[in-house]
Amino acid sequence: MPDSGFPWPIETTRLDNGLRVVVSEDRTAPAVAVNLWYDIGSRHEPEGQTGFAHLFEHLMFEGSTNVAKTEHMKLVQGCGGSLNATTNPDRTNYFETVPAEHLELTLWLEADRMGGLVPALTQETLDNQRDVVKNERRQRYENVPYGDAWLRLLPLLYPPGHPYHHATIGSMADLNAADLPTFQAFHTAYYAPNNAVLTVVGDTSAAEVFALAEKYFGAIPPRPEIPAAPDGQHVPGAGVATTETVVTEVPAPRVYVAHRTHPFGTAGYDVTSVLATVLGSGRGSRLYQRLADGERIAQPDLVGAYGVDLAYAPAPLIATATARPGVPAERLAAGLGEVVDELATVPVTAAELDRAKALLSTAWWRQMSTVEGRADTLGRYATQFGDPRRAAERLPAWLAVTADQIAAVAAEVLAPADRVTLTYLPEESS
Amino acid sequence: MTLISTRPGPGAARPYRFPQVVRRGVAGGQLVAAHLPGQSLAVALLLLDAGAGREPQGREGLGTVLAKALEEGTAQRDATAYALAIEALGTELVAGLDWDSFQVSVQVPVDRLPAAVELLAEAVRTPRLEPDDVRRVRDDEATAQRMDWANPGPRADAALRADLFGAENRWGRPLYGDPETVAALEVEDVRIFHSEWFLRPGTLIVVGDLERLDLDALAATAFAGTGGGAVDRGGPVEVTPRDSSKIILVDRPGSVQSTLRLGHPSPHRAHPDHVPMRLAGTVLGGAFTSRLNHLIREVRGYTYGIRGDFVSSRRFGRFAVSSGVQTAVTAPALVEAVGEITRTQQTGVTEPELAVARSWLAGQLSVELQTPRAIAAALTTLVVHDLPDDYHARLRAALLAAEVEEVSAAAAAHLHPEGLTLVVEGDANLIRAELAATELGEVVTSTR
Repeated sequence: MPDSGFPWPIETTRLDNGLRVVVSEDRTAPAVAVNLWYDIGSRHEPEGQTGFAHLFEHLMFEGSTNVAKTEHMKLVQGCGGSLNATTNPDRTNYFETVPAEHLELTLWLEADRMGGLVPALTQETLDNQRDVVKNERRQRYENVPYGDAWLRLLPLLYPPGHPYHHATIGSMADLNAADLPTFQAFHTAYYAPNNAVLTVVGDTSAAEVFALAEKYFGAIPPRPEIPAAPDGQHVPGAGVATTETVVTEVPAPRVYVAHRTHPFGTAGYDVTSVLATVLGSGRGSRLYQRLADGERIAQPDLVGAYGVDLAYAPAPLIATATARPGVPAERLAAGLGEVVDELATVPVTAAELDRAKALLSTAWWRQMSTVEGRADTLGRYATQFGDPRRAAERLPAWLAVTADQIAAVAAEVLAPADRVTLTYLPEESS
Repeated sequence: MTLISTRPGPGAARPYRFPQVVRRGVAGGQLVAAHLPGQSLAVALLLLDAGAGREPQGREGLGTVLAKALEEGTAQRDATAYALAIEALGTELVAGLDWDSFQVSVQVPVDRLPAAVELLAEAVRTPRLEPDDVRRVRDDEATAQRMDWANPGPRADAALRADLFGAENRWGRPLYGDPETVAALEVEDVRIFHSEWFLRPGTLIVVGDLERLDLDALAATAFAGTGGGAVDRGGPVEVTPRDSSKIILVDRPGSVQSTLRLGHPSPHRAHPDHVPMRLAGTVLGGAFTSRLNHLIREVRGYTYGIRGDFVSSRRFGRFAVSSGVQTAVTAPALVEAVGEITRTQQTGVTEPELAVARSWLAGQLSVELQTPRAIAAALTTLVVHDLPDDYHARLRAALLAAEVEEVSAAAAAHLHPEGLTLVVEGDANLIRAELAATELGEVVTSTR
């Protein structure tokens, strides 16, 4: 067993304005990954402003004080770099991987949009990106069968007012209502150096990055009080199983079973991660063996289980299966529920445990095999747990999970009374 | 606020070196390897001359069904035992095909690679292919395809391909077949395809810390029990573009977006214009800042994204633009997309645009080629297209040296805005009249 999941150097500093800087030098390839985690996600959004954190992510590519509209993309791609950004319930991250000689350009671009977005933000840009986001919603959630499953599961798992109750993409109505002053205020509130972590991994040194960070970010003022997200650690259970059935244009019945488990980063969630792999990763998993191969009621390519790595409330575990032709949804739902129930009653064997740990190890090292994968990981641990070095703990923690712990966590969080079941039925079968 | 207003220039460029390539014949097959010192994961990939181009007429989807049937038990163990054995190593068997090749691979911590290659070879060379299992896999694949074809995209792709290349040709049919061709496959088709193409040695690609690997032993495992030599792969297919554009409407009632697939045939992979063509495609539609994405997404807000590119295989190629646009703006989006293709064909590219495209494609080589999987894919390109070990270095130099004139000439020669197939998959009742009014071409409704 390795003692560490992160055998590379990690150096950190904090600028006077509160910006935390994390550097991991690796001279293997002439590339650097730059990654900024801002502690702002859809969990911070008040009612009536759903989708704002994500729409804001789009606005961050549309120019700032010294960067013209569209120039950000042009400069990064024009130097050979890859770039993107993502928003989830917990946070927003921005990242670039560039040939190492363009590190300074990348830091200049990131500093300019951290410190200088508001003056460049126009109504025209807001209107245009609002349209782009509405198109994203259509393309990813509305125009594909089962595309809105995640949007439906969240409100079933988390009650109104809970920070995870609404999905990051937001509602069309809220997006339509968004006005320019609200977005200017949003940037001022959250895009502050003391609400961010800058991580650089690759062909550079800590000394170089610390100096460049001071040069470009050092003058950006901190914000004294960053508005906190509502607390979501305690989710009152419904006490009875929750079900929702959707009759719509889908090609086959599909069932999702979801539970609230433990927050990402806790011992309970480490157990959940191994449990999810035993349950639903690969052809050797319980779901595949029982439903796809054994009873043959589920389509083999569409059966699985996974945890969603959210850190500020009990994170979801989702198991799903899609019916083979002729199999009724009730039978599939019963089969899926039974396999989940058995995690508490049928002990996980040594072979099942070894298989899950081997798959998790490979997945971990795959994430670590790129500079951008490492940068995002370090940014996460610095943001969520205050120390990037804690990234090294995750793999050993998974490898230490026991069969007894899995049974205990299953008994604790996977009870039928805490279950959310979402079923899709094709229109013609109703 | 004292942000620094001066944009910093680049530091000293650091050279990129593609890993040293090892090639040799071992045990009747070819071994190609690349050394990644210190890398904790290693990849082994077996490359077989069994791409979709080898599937007999009317048997589209055969390679995919065989790929999935490989894991339904081997001479040594049943399906469950096989799954547990390979997943206990921390890997899954990844099997799939493109037009030119069939690829099976594993990715594991380096010390587990010998065991993983043994299991890979066991599945590829000695699958049971029991009739009941093959029929079940076939039926599952047909169901999976029906699921996939319920999404926007596959029907439009098929309509485009059929119009470009002719549905009577294998390359005018979908790469993975369709639900009907898969459902019609017989057990014997699968067994014969296996015996014809999966018992030849092929090429083993290995990427990882080679100081910790015995390449000859890995190759001996992969090639054990194989025989037969290479088979002629056929020359480039000549395809003439249409002489006038045509709109093909694929009905998807209730769709909130229209899926666009616009295209025409283009040269095969070995064509001498490959690099300038790729650069022209990048300026037009290959990067976020390209002409199409800039106009249709950033200026107009019609879409979440639009891209266009030249894609080529050994025998043929195509230029295509793809996007999903909101239903209400289907016609203007189509007109403006065709307008950008026309403008690029007629007036070529500018130096500032080409500068971005050039350094982006060149820089991407250093940024993208980091992982064992990415390097394995790069080695696969060398093998499939008979390219030299220093291909990536030469490609980088060629990209950086390309001039406006040659890229504009490639756009002029290889874009055919007057002969486009314009496939629109959306709510026909809402968009048919508007599409006809664009006068971009005759509107026909697809029967698929």
